[in-house]
Amino acid sequence: MITWEHRESVGWQTSLKSIGIALALTLLLTFAALWLTTGMPLEAFWQMLTYPWQAERALTQWGKALNPAFYLSLIALGLSISYRANVWNIGAEGQFAIGSVFAFGAWLLLGMPNGLWAIPIILLSGAVGGMVWAAIPAALRTLANTNELLVSLMLVYIGAQFLFYLSNGPWEMSAAMKPVPTRTESIPDSLLFTSVFSQGPKLHWGLVWGWQVYLVVTALLAFTLLGYRLSVANQSKRAERFAGFSPVGTIWIAFLFSGGLAGLAGGIFLIGDTGYLVDQSNFLQNYGFTAIIVAFLGRLNPLGILVAGLALGYLEGGAGWLQASGLGDDSISGIIQVIALFCTLGTATLVTHRISWRGNP
Amino acid sequence: MLSLSGITKAYGPIRANESIDLEVEGGQIHALLGENGAGKSTLMKILFGLVQPDAGKISFNGTAVKIKTPQDAKELGIGMVQQHFALFDGMTALENIRLGLTVPPENLRERIAELGNLYGLEVDPDALVLSLSAGQKQRIEIVRALLGDPMLLVLDEPTSVLTPQEADLLFNALRKLRDEGRGLIFISHKLGEVRALCDSATVLRAGKVVGTCDPRETDTDVLAEMMIGQRLSAQEKAPKSFSNAKVVLSAQNIETRDGLRLDDLELHEGEILGVAGIAGNGQDRLFALLSGEAARGTQIAGELKLRDEDLSIIPTRNRRAKGARFVPEERLGHSAIPDFKLSDNTLLTKHSAENKDNTVLRRNRWIRKQAAQIIDYFDVRGGDANARARSFSGGNLQKFVVGRELDSGLDLLIISQPTWGVDLWAASRIRQEIQLRADQGTAVLLISQDLDELMALTDSLSVIANGVLTAVRPTVEWSVPELGRAMAGELEGMVQ
Repeated sequence: MITWEHRESVGWQTSLKSIGIALALTLLLTFAALWLTTGMPLEAFWQMLTYPWQAERALTQWGKALNPAFYLSLIALGLSISYRANVWNIGAEGQFAIGSVFAFGAWLLLGMPNGLWAIPIILLSGAVGGMVWAAIPAALRTLANTNELLVSLMLVYIGAQFLFYLSNGPWEMSAAMKPVPTRTESIPDSLLFTSVFSQGPKLHWGLVWGWQVYLVVTALLAFTLLGYRLSVANQSKRAERFAGFSPVGTIWIAFLFSGGLAGLAGGIFLIGDTGYLVDQSNFLQNYGFTAIIVAFLGRLNPLGILVAGLALGYLEGGAGWLQASGLGDDSISGIIQVIALFCTLGTATLVTHRISWRGNP
Repeated sequence: MLSLSGITKAYGPIRANESIDLEVEGGQIHALLGENGAGKSTLMKILFGLVQPDAGKISFNGTAVKIKTPQDAKELGIGMVQQHFALFDGMTALENIRLGLTVPPENLRERIAELGNLYGLEVDPDALVLSLSAGQKQRIEIVRALLGDPMLLVLDEPTSVLTPQEADLLFNALRKLRDEGRGLIFISHKLGEVRALCDSATVLRAGKVVGTCDPRETDTDVLAEMMIGQRLSAQEKAPKSFSNAKVVLSAQNIETRDGLRLDDLELHEGEILGVAGIAGNGQDRLFALLSGEAARGTQIAGELKLRDEDLSIIPTRNRRAKGARFVPEERLGHSAIPDFKLSDNTLLTKHSAENKDNTVLRRNRWIRKQAAQIIDYFDVRGGDANARARSFSGGNLQKFVVGRELDSGLDLLIISQPTWGVDLWAASRIRQEIQLRADQGTAVLLISQDLDELMALTDSLSVIANGVLTAVRPTVEWSVPELGRAMAGELEGMVQ
């Protein structure tokens, strides 16, 4: 008979083992998916694994992988704070969009400056924008007891429409020859983040500065009462109230943190990657949604999220390379993401439980 | 019809049932009376095949039987209505009933209507269970049991969830079933209903049969004494006067949204005030009100004061900063987090303003030191500060939790069922410590079901029943019959 048993104690070895199993399963299923889609699983896999060395400009390729990795892990870190507290913010995509809008709005309000002093204000406004957008589901949840999952998700589409409206309406670029798709004025080059490597624009200094925020938040979770409070909220609502942590306060903390980080990512994206707002399908990169996967792949752990973010960033680049090299279609990255997610969630049970094989008595 | 003899069942050192004899005849409603933990539920689980006894015989209609599964019980003609309903909220009454039957009859819908008419247990077969009241859900359970045409029907605390009107309807149905010649076992601790409904009674206390009687002809006082036991004079605490001591906690005319009523209570320095009562009578609500875990706005009337401050507006954390400590009944998931280490569990209540070190940063070294001190002082066994709370026995974890709260600067201690599910050794240690703090001037409010514990520890006593607390009187002034009636919610002069 096969039964589930609750583990008495959970060591880090157990966690590593379950991650190993998840990885092996993911690889196996990835091979199957590649075999079905390309017919040449080994060749396709090799291309996806080694693409940064395949291309002539390796550093550009690395930039392609690290750029999404940064956005994904920064947003996922915020989401993990929310999920740890059992607060389900799945609207980071919208908070990212509104973050960019606020960041751009701040630049406009400042009088379209081109001095570097404006950068902190622009980025801070991005974070505030994300918080404002996340405050809506938080307020509705705490005041009217609505479902934060639905509200935060629906606000993604409202946020995207805002972005669309502003870049096509009031904030539209005034020029004789309007570009297609329509977009706003460009932030001057002097403000834009420059590339870390001389070749290729993808890996810019904005990402490097943003990293420090990641470290600060990670330290906050590990060493402060705030982090403790969130993990208590994750474990038991009753113990949370007993400890004297207000559940309403926890919901606000979770939304403001996750929204703020998504908004900050939106601000960095604006002055690091595009330089202007443009209609949503050209601006939004799905980072907010993919970050949900990254948060769970990383088991809501800052280090894990970092690894998962890098892996998915690498995967996106690899899928692009696969398509460029004519072997397959870049939609394979979506398939592999989902495979990895299911394998990770499935094996997460192994951390707290063990399978025991016993003969029938 | 049914005869149990010598039924014994032990869970580790605890003897839930000890050579119990029970006779039930057809055409009778037989009451099984006893306090919580007296062994009623265990006995009924044995009868229904959910638990196997260590020793003893069951005979049904004159033949010895072995009941290994609920299916065996059903085939013999024994039906059971559990205290907690086993119904799926998202399904209709009809679907729920069908689920519980091995071979549902073709005309199930008609049979349900028929039984409903016959016994006054109408059930709307197409209503979703989640939209039904507790009484209606219970009818579904009873109808489901009756579809098997049982000769013996067991009802476990059936009135605990019912309004008085619903209870009356239920009693009519039960009388009809009895008049058809069926046997019924009615499990309860409410003396009034047992006297009104039942033809015979067996009283259990601490896993043993104390006696059998005809409840119609037995005085309520006598029944109460059988149930609770003659223990008052045994370990009486010397009476003390607190009229000169300062009042720490006071409550006047309190009413809450969830039906708690507390007219007048004053708790003095050095006093231990007990709140007796059968589980589920509002102890949780009382604890939540005092600890501040109750949602804001729960208290709708009255005045609750700690020293001279209005307590109702002070959140839990600040109550701790003012010297109040709380120990709830539940350990896992309430006073401790099962998957946290003991050291992390220490921080759970040590981050209020007075522990300034922890309000922003986690001082892990300080926390570990605290945990080690508690473990050392209270002799917590089974692991060190790095072991998870889940891995400790009930007694050891409770010693840790109590130890965590009994720190310096303790002015008021609210402690609920501190020795429930705790081994005797740990229980006596915890009681000792509570007494010690009271001797040092701490005001203690002890919520407990354990009358022995209350008699041994408390200076004054109130009883909670249906969320209403009786007036507080010195413990020595309470008589056993009075206590029994008060616990059953039937004390004269008690505001209902």
